[in-house]
Amino acid sequence: MDFFSSMRVSASGLEAQTKRMNTISSNIANAETTQVEGQDGPYKRKDAIFTATTDKENFGEILNNQLDQQIQGVLVEDIHEDTAPPRMVYNPSHPDSNEEGYVAMPNVNMIEETANMISAQRSYEANVTAMNAAKAMAAKALEIGK
Amino acid sequence: MSVFDSTIQGLDNSMDLRLMNQNVISSNIANADTPGYKSKKVEFEGALRQALAVDGNLPLEGNSPEHIVIQGNGPVTAAVADDTNGVESLDGNTVNRSEEMAKMVENQLLYDAAAEMLKKKLGMLKYSISEGGGNR
Repeated sequence: MDFFSSMRVSASGLEAQTKRMNTISSNIANAETTQVEGQDGPYKRKDAIFTATTDKENFGEILNNQLDQQIQGVLVEDIHEDTAPPRMVYNPSHPDSNEEGYVAMPNVNMIEETANMISAQRSYEANVTAMNAAKAMAAKALEIGK
Repeated sequence: MSVFDSTIQGLDNSMDLRLMNQNVISSNIANADTPGYKSKKVEFEGALRQALAVDGNLPLEGNSPEHIVIQGNGPVTAAVADDTNGVESLDGNTVNRSEEMAKMVENQLLYDAAAEMLKKKLGMLKYSISEGGGNR
């Protein structure tokens, strides 16, 4: 239980939100991608799955402080592929069109991705604020006795 | 009567608890997007009241040197528990981001206040140690 566990937790939040932002960028960049290397069909939307993990730096810390069991950081456990069916667009001149002239486009919804992006951005900012608060508190504690 | 009186001890305990609170709030903010995460909170005021001995359990009075008086309260213990007031969203998460931010700012201010008071208390000690001649 120290200032650094608070900062480590916030840092884990920053890292997780960055990874989430990366997957969102990937989804937006590939919103029109109809071919993927080593895979059949169009690009599939990706989603970062978060899971809470106990903040532990080393064994001694865990042993010494059971309270830290409740201080949980966040970790990207998996990048999940969205199994929603592809969007079918009629375009017979496209090289990837099927016999009926439909092209399977990625299951990416731009509006959803934009909303997710804003959410990730806000969460990132919240983690930065939390880290700054911990830092300010530590600086204040150092002032004692000055 | 010790040089470091119960106020200093109380402030010390208060700062420890505020730090613990900060850790828990950071954890809640980091996990604001984690499915199924339940918002945590420090059972705080009770522990602080116990630390400052204002919970109505007055310490024993010793009016004879033969009386055994239990001094101090020892380390303060506060429990971290799931916040039962949280509203569960679709993914089972109960973190309210704006509430956590507000709690964090409040906690930070009160921590700063305790640090400032501790600083003043020690400044006063320093003043008397230097027989009022020090620069503080």
